Amino acid sequence: MRYLMLVMSTPEDPDLRPEDAAGAPPIEAWVERHYGSGAAVLGDRLRPPQDAVGVRVRGGRALVTDGPFSETKETIAGFDVLDAPDLDTAIAIAAEHPMAYEGAIELRPFWPLGLDDAPDGAVAAADAHADGGA
Amino acid sequence: MTTPAAAVEDAFRTEWGRVLGAVARHVGDLDLAEESTQEAFATALRTWGRDGVPERPGAWLTTTARRHAIDVLRRRRTEADRTATAVRLAAPLEGAATDVGPTGHDPDDLDGLGDLDDPDGDLLRLLYTCCHPALPLEGRIALTLRSLTGMTTAQVARAFLVPEATMAQRLVRAKRRIKATGITFRVPPAALRAERTGDVLTVLYLLFTEGYDAWAEPATDVAGGTDRRALAGDAVRLARLAARLLPDEPEAGGLLALLLLQHARRDARNGPDGVTRTLAEQDRSLWRRDEIAEGLRVLDDALAVRRPGPYQVQAAIAALHARAASAPETDRDEVLALYDVLLGMTPTPVVALNRAVAVAEAHGPAAGLAVLDDLAGDPALGSYHLLPAVRAELLARSGRPDDAAAALRTALGLVDREGDRRLLHRRLEDLTGQRNDRR
Repeated sequence: MRYLMLVMSTPEDPDLRPEDAAGAPPIEAWVERHYGSGAAVLGDRLRPPQDAVGVRVRGGRALVTDGPFSETKETIAGFDVLDAPDLDTAIAIAAEHPMAYEGAIELRPFWPLGLDDAPDGAVAAADAHADGGA
Repeated sequence: MTTPAAAVEDAFRTEWGRVLGAVARHVGDLDLAEESTQEAFATALRTWGRDGVPERPGAWLTTTARRHAIDVLRRRRTEADRTATAVRLAAPLEGAATDVGPTGHDPDDLDGLGDLDDPDGDLLRLLYTCCHPALPLEGRIALTLRSLTGMTTAQVARAFLVPEATMAQRLVRAKRRIKATGITFRVPPAALRAERTGDVLTVLYLLFTEGYDAWAEPATDVAGGTDRRALAGDAVRLARLAARLLPDEPEAGGLLALLLLQHARRDARNGPDGVTRTLAEQDRSLWRRDEIAEGLRVLDDALAVRRPGPYQVQAAIAALHARAASAPETDRDEVLALYDVLLGMTPTPVVALNRAVAVAEAHGPAAGLAVLDDLAGDPALGSYHLLPAVRAELLARSGRPDDAAAALRTALGLVDREGDRRLLHRRLEDLTGQRNDRR
């Protein structure tokens, strides 16, 4: 199963603790270990939101914006794609990442096209609706 | 000689979770596992009368359920093969869950699997899965109850006082999330195991409190009465299971001991008048001595491991109360010492409030009031009736009946359980000398 691991910078998280950040393992060891094993297959750091470029097509015209769509303090600082046998394995990998100590990690399971053809697709769709698409 | 129907019923009580766990692990799909387990019990009802009760009912049921699951998977695969999505469907499932044993995503792998001899392992995997922190908390509680005890959705709904459709939705969501996020039926990896075990114990404790709260209510006033009260017993049974499955985890024993010792007092917690009885007021002859004895035994075994935790400490406090022949004979200094330890482990306002009571018992009401003053501003306790109720008790003991009455009125504005409301009313009447028969 594949997961997009969003590496988040969360400067306003009230639960951040300097002692956690100080005890964070080095990123080099994480990269070596998980890219070495093949658990992480692709990833990179991302330029800050100021360098983001928004693209929307409205009324047939491509609107390009300078900067992010919304000003939030929480930003995606980087990402990795994990190929893990299951969620617990992905959680264990994420929990070793230094930004799990200094920020936050969000794991997003891939949702391959076709899987929603499975018999419970209708339930999934109904639930997504009930959840407000969350 | 038991009848086949009684044998099926008996197997349902003892084997449901094991059969479900075994099938769930192999097919990686809790819905299919549930359906197959139900089917196996239905088959048992039809055939045990004719063919006799099998020697190992659990193994028979597991084999039958697994066979049913394989049939369903075969049918699904045949249907899927007809569509172009089959290729994409199969790709992400190949090699999934390499370290959790055969997952059975390839139905042809299932037939030859004979590890029926590890039903406890499958129960433990099922327990960790149902209590996975990536699931919504109320879904975890409902799923644990449904999966480990075999209670129907309707029964679970009744116990939690929600419509069946609501409970069904809660269960469906939790199961769908297991699938969508890639939770597998496994014991968590070593790095996560301690926390995950704590998560399991939390779910069992919350399940217990649902039922335990109902026991403090006047019997006639408990909404969903027997169903809700029964949850406490269910939780004790599940805690016993967890303690057996996790012999190296003293907190599992601590939780079991705590639940046994608290549940043992159930018949004394509310009087015939429907008024809640405080620990000091309870008729101790109503306490279940056999359950207390088991709780004390379990606690001693857990403490012997010398890795204390909050459940063991709370159980140790409960044990001091259980051992005292009467309230005044309680070892109050020891109770306070244990609350100090507990507060160090879990510095929550509720623990601090309980510690304030222990301070008052050990050193007098003035000392207790001083501790309460420090807690007064805590927003977490702002709507908690026990803060003013405890204050009222200590003020009354300090010879300040007017202040005590004022605190009781504050508490009455916050209390939500009927038994507790009656207790506060009685205290107020005792203080003000006006006894108008309120019910």
